[in-house]
Amino acid sequence: MSWRRTTLVLVAFAAACGGDKGTGPLVIDPPFDLTSLGQGAVNDRFTAELWVNGNTAYTTTWGTRTVNNVQARGDAVKIWDVSSSQPILVDSLIVTGATTLGDIQTTPDGKYLVVATESAGSIVIYDLSDPRKPTLVTRFTNADIANGVHTSEVQTVNGRTYAFLCIDPRGGESARLVIVDITDPVSPSMVFSQVMGSPFVHDVFVRDGIMMTALWNDGIAIFDIGGGGRGGTPAIPVRLGGVNTVGGKAHNIFWYRDPVSGSKRYALVGEEGPGAIPTSSIGDVHVVDVSDLANPREVAFYSVPGAGVHNFSADEDRGILYAAYYNAGVRALNIRGDLGECAANQKAPDGRCDLRQMNRELAKGPVDAPVVYVWGVHYTGGRLYASDMLNGLWRLSTVP
Amino acid sequence: MQHRASVVLFSLIFAATVASAQDEHAGHDMSHDSTKAGPAVTAGASGILLGTVASPGINNRTLAEGYLTQPMVMAMLMTPREKFVANLTLNFEGSTLDRGELNAGVYGEGYIDRRHPHTLVHELVGTGNFNLHSLRMSLTAGKGFVPFGTDDPMSRPFVKYPVNHHLAQVLERALVIAAIGSGPLTLEASAFNGDEPEGPYDLPDWDRFADSWSARVTVRARMLEVQGSAARIESPEHATGGGLDHRKVSLSARYASNGRYALAEWARTREGEGNSTAFTFNSALVEGSMAVGVFKVGARAERTERPEEERALNAFRTPRPHSDLGIIGITRWTVLTTSVGTSLPSYRGFRIDPFVEVSTQKPVATASPAVFIPGDFYGKSRLWSFSIGARMGLGMKHARMGRYGAAQ
Repeated sequence: MSWRRTTLVLVAFAAACGGDKGTGPLVIDPPFDLTSLGQGAVNDRFTAELWVNGNTAYTTTWGTRTVNNVQARGDAVKIWDVSSSQPILVDSLIVTGATTLGDIQTTPDGKYLVVATESAGSIVIYDLSDPRKPTLVTRFTNADIANGVHTSEVQTVNGRTYAFLCIDPRGGESARLVIVDITDPVSPSMVFSQVMGSPFVHDVFVRDGIMMTALWNDGIAIFDIGGGGRGGTPAIPVRLGGVNTVGGKAHNIFWYRDPVSGSKRYALVGEEGPGAIPTSSIGDVHVVDVSDLANPREVAFYSVPGAGVHNFSADEDRGILYAAYYNAGVRALNIRGDLGECAANQKAPDGRCDLRQMNRELAKGPVDAPVVYVWGVHYTGGRLYASDMLNGLWRLSTVP
Repeated sequence: MQHRASVVLFSLIFAATVASAQDEHAGHDMSHDSTKAGPAVTAGASGILLGTVASPGINNRTLAEGYLTQPMVMAMLMTPREKFVANLTLNFEGSTLDRGELNAGVYGEGYIDRRHPHTLVHELVGTGNFNLHSLRMSLTAGKGFVPFGTDDPMSRPFVKYPVNHHLAQVLERALVIAAIGSGPLTLEASAFNGDEPEGPYDLPDWDRFADSWSARVTVRARMLEVQGSAARIESPEHATGGGLDHRKVSLSARYASNGRYALAEWARTREGEGNSTAFTFNSALVEGSMAVGVFKVGARAERTERPEEERALNAFRTPRPHSDLGIIGITRWTVLTTSVGTSLPSYRGFRIDPFVEVSTQKPVATASPAVFIPGDFYGKSRLWSFSIGARMGLGMKHARMGRYGAAQ
């Protein structure tokens, strides 16, 4: 990197980290590289979901990987020491009867770990008194979730902790959203269950008593579950609005809150098109203006030629969205400021702003890595991690 | 309970068919005089007792299994001069093949490397035939074979299905077919429901009737038949809709005369949304059979691309429908098959045709890196399948499957 570019990048990041962060966009052109600071290799199974809790990280596994005629299913949680840049595998646990672990997350207080299972649907809750040695608390299943839990979002609403489960369609039964109260992890109880999505309800994002659901070809829907002023609760969500994102296949959502301005204007929606793991993927990031929750509208998009987006994580303080981009690795986008206003030459023919043309792409990586297929990202405590189906767990730099 | 009831039903119908066995004849080549006064009813039953050894079947293990495969009862009602023809085929594989039949490379309807059982009501169609000057016309409605591609493998010389079954045939749909023919040329067009069956006792989703279409043109000259066909099938693998659509084309040439049979076919399926294509699967196949003394020998060569999907706890099953639209790669299967069979003397119309069939398969991933690496998964890069069995039948049998009315 030339000294001029280095200077430009450092000045841009300095601007992003201080001053009036709620206004002008951060521009870095061209994007810098997300370099690898360390890698924890996983070669026996395919790596999938990722959650980092302090100095411990958890990665799930997916499908079946066969190495030297030994078949290993996606039934393992890998437990990592991430106190240094180099992730170190310290233990693993096996979830019996699972072919894929659909999701993993700790409760907001960090005391429990919630793991979703497919193709036999359940959630498994572990006690994290010792984060490196999870102990089983309970495994919850019932007829509504038995078809498989594809994703699980754990959030607190009005003092109670819930798991929001997206259930697979199977054998003629439609996909459904199930909400389970896990405030008492020993005795989870289902409080809501409803068929949703076309053909899937794929993921949920919950913040401040508002639930956003990714409904595939039905776009996204927004519900009051306690913070919308319409009397909704997790047991009785009240629909506020929805929008069909361009191209459908709404897969996941992140609702950005600017900590400086307090603005919660934009939700970012991942579109997952038909890809062939681990060589191809397709699908854009869609930016939806949700300033009016009853009338959300798509205003912008971001596309990577030859690749598609998967899961998100954000550095909200700096206004950066990190997006797992499968065969294209990880992309960092500047999501601060006004994403729906742009010059004419930065618009697509349908009028949406193109974040790439707006120079909102900040960084990409990992560089100097073998072929990757990045499933998920997690930014926490100033550190960025990426789960790679083929190679395991990466720690990536967040500055040039 | 459902299985037991089906077995009992099959046994009763089979026994009834034996009791009232009629002259053997070849499917739609009616042996009776169709110009006589009243309607005629013909019936038949068939099945294959089969033993198969797959080496390796999976994970470097040799598997040996036995089945009653393709158990069917057929009936046909025909009015004078064939003004109206009704076909019924009941298939009892839901009772006898619940785990699927070992058939390396074959996939579809939630099974992989095992052939899935077909639905109980395999075919129930009525066809009205009309003539206008030199034109032959027909209108067919019911559940049955879509006018697309080639004959169903069940009516062809080999017991093991080709890998391309879901690329080269479309069946068990609620459909309406219009056909018109003149001289050697026949045109068919159909509308049908796109959703595949979700189990052997599933019925077509009527909400989706006519969301898909196909068209086929056939030219016949002497014993040679050439067809080209196209189909657009909406979301076949997601019954509720929203899955990838299939755009299919097929070209084939078929020869049949005096105990000699040959088929060459090419088929392509593109999966995608709208006009975009996400995945393309190609297939080429040649097969033939002929009489050599008292034996009938056959050979088939096939190269077909197969989508790979995440497998369930049972490694021969895939979650259905998929949880996403993705696949885990494409495998190209090269398959060589040969068979030798003969016919024993029939007893009161009861036919027994013993046979042996040997097949070898070589699957290769089309891209690297690959999630599904065939050599690792199966334990060897080349697979073998050995089958021995006997086709049994009584009464009518389908000489061909997949054409109705003016297209026959």
